[in-house]
Amino acid sequence: MSEPTTTPPLSAEHVRTELKRFLEERTKTDWAVDTDLFATGGVSSLFAMELVVHVEKTFGIAVEGPDLRIDNFRTVDAMTALVLRLAEAGSGE
Amino acid sequence: MSDELAALIGAEIADRAAGWDLAGAIPPEVLRGLGAKGALCAEVPAEYGGRGLTGRANGELTSHAGALCSSLRSVMTSQGMAAWTIQRFGTRRQRSAELTRLTSGALAAVAFSEPQAGSDLSAIATTITDDGDEVVLNGHKVWSTAAAYADVVVVFGRYQDGAAAVVVPTDTPGVTVSPVAQPLGCRAAGHADVVLDGVRLPADRVLSGTSQSLGLLTTLALTYGRLSVAWGCVGIIRGCLRAAAAHARRREQFGKPLAEHQLVARHLSELLVAEQTATRVCEHASDRWDSGSPEVSGEAVLAKHVAAGRAAHAAATAVQVLASAGSVDGEVVARAYRDAKLMQIIEGSDEICQLILAERALEGVA
Repeated sequence: MSEPTTTPPLSAEHVRTELKRFLEERTKTDWAVDTDLFATGGVSSLFAMELVVHVEKTFGIAVEGPDLRIDNFRTVDAMTALVLRLAEAGSGE
Repeated sequence: MSDELAALIGAEIADRAAGWDLAGAIPPEVLRGLGAKGALCAEVPAEYGGRGLTGRANGELTSHAGALCSSLRSVMTSQGMAAWTIQRFGTRRQRSAELTRLTSGALAAVAFSEPQAGSDLSAIATTITDDGDEVVLNGHKVWSTAAAYADVVVVFGRYQDGAAAVVVPTDTPGVTVSPVAQPLGCRAAGHADVVLDGVRLPADRVLSGTSQSLGLLTTLALTYGRLSVAWGCVGIIRGCLRAAAAHARRREQFGKPLAEHQLVARHLSELLVAEQTATRVCEHASDRWDSGSPEVSGEAVLAKHVAAGRAAHAAATAVQVLASAGSVDGEVVARAYRDAKLMQIIEGSDEICQLILAERALEGVA
């Protein structure tokens, strides 16, 4: 896992933009921040794992145990909240 | 790779793989001994008593074991997959308790498949039901590799509005483990069916303590398994290459070594191509794993599919080169022939891998 980041605290805007960029690159779809990615016609469970690993690597966090709930990855907004919460918790250690 | 662990595994297997294959069992003390050294799940971090190997180093170790004995390698795959599932989904306390056991000699298996849920894991019918401070498990798991040896089985089932994995000690009342009689390959890997009949456990045995997405749960666990199987197949191919090359050099027909007969030489070249191709694709996938690349799930499917297909072809080729000398049960290429076939089935059959790869082919095309 990445070392704790020494860069300035993440902003929600930055996280949201990065996630939307990744999703668009991988799925060729511009997802609204509150659209359910896993609803019918959405992305696969293989892609769910891609999202988990991408979020961990990009933001230097570890998503483990109860945080791996799919609800945390269901929308761009949900992922943004998760990233900010884990980044905050990580910087406090 | 860890030279120390490779030497340890080599010394334990020595010349015993054929005997284990014929007997359909590996002495449990061999497995416990290797487990206590952290060799069966060598990626587990040092803080849990593990060896903390990278995915790439563990892959090389896995291929080393796979070249000698696919049954032992299968046990490593199971133990590693159980450990990885606990590491990813366990709470801090669960990781600490369970992973430490798995690096201290306790043996573990994972249980996905059911009579009606093979390739289609969404059909898993095993239930995990809350009952106060406990959970109750009911279900029937089949073909759980290493379950015949296991102290704990990580059972995947339906839980609340989703799914969960539960660490089930096999001595819990209601757990019945029945070894699969005479499997086609990896005969000493301890494949077993596991029946769970009203199995009652403390709720803190549910990994993460909450319900998860079945798809994410199985994909994360299987990605480790696919990488491990892929490297195991590299080992099968290396074992076949060594045996076929040695035989082709030694054995003479029509007044010259087999290797000097062009049709046999072609077999040898194909074995080398298989070994190199499978190795490269596994290295690539493991490097994605180690760098935390999101592509790892797809790369693991690709590696497993390529390596298993190459292993099956390589094993058939090696038997052809050794001919009667390779057609005796227990012999390395005879084992490879049977073991490699199973590798095209487990952790995602060839056809399931192809469906996943086809989806990838379609990605990004409007």
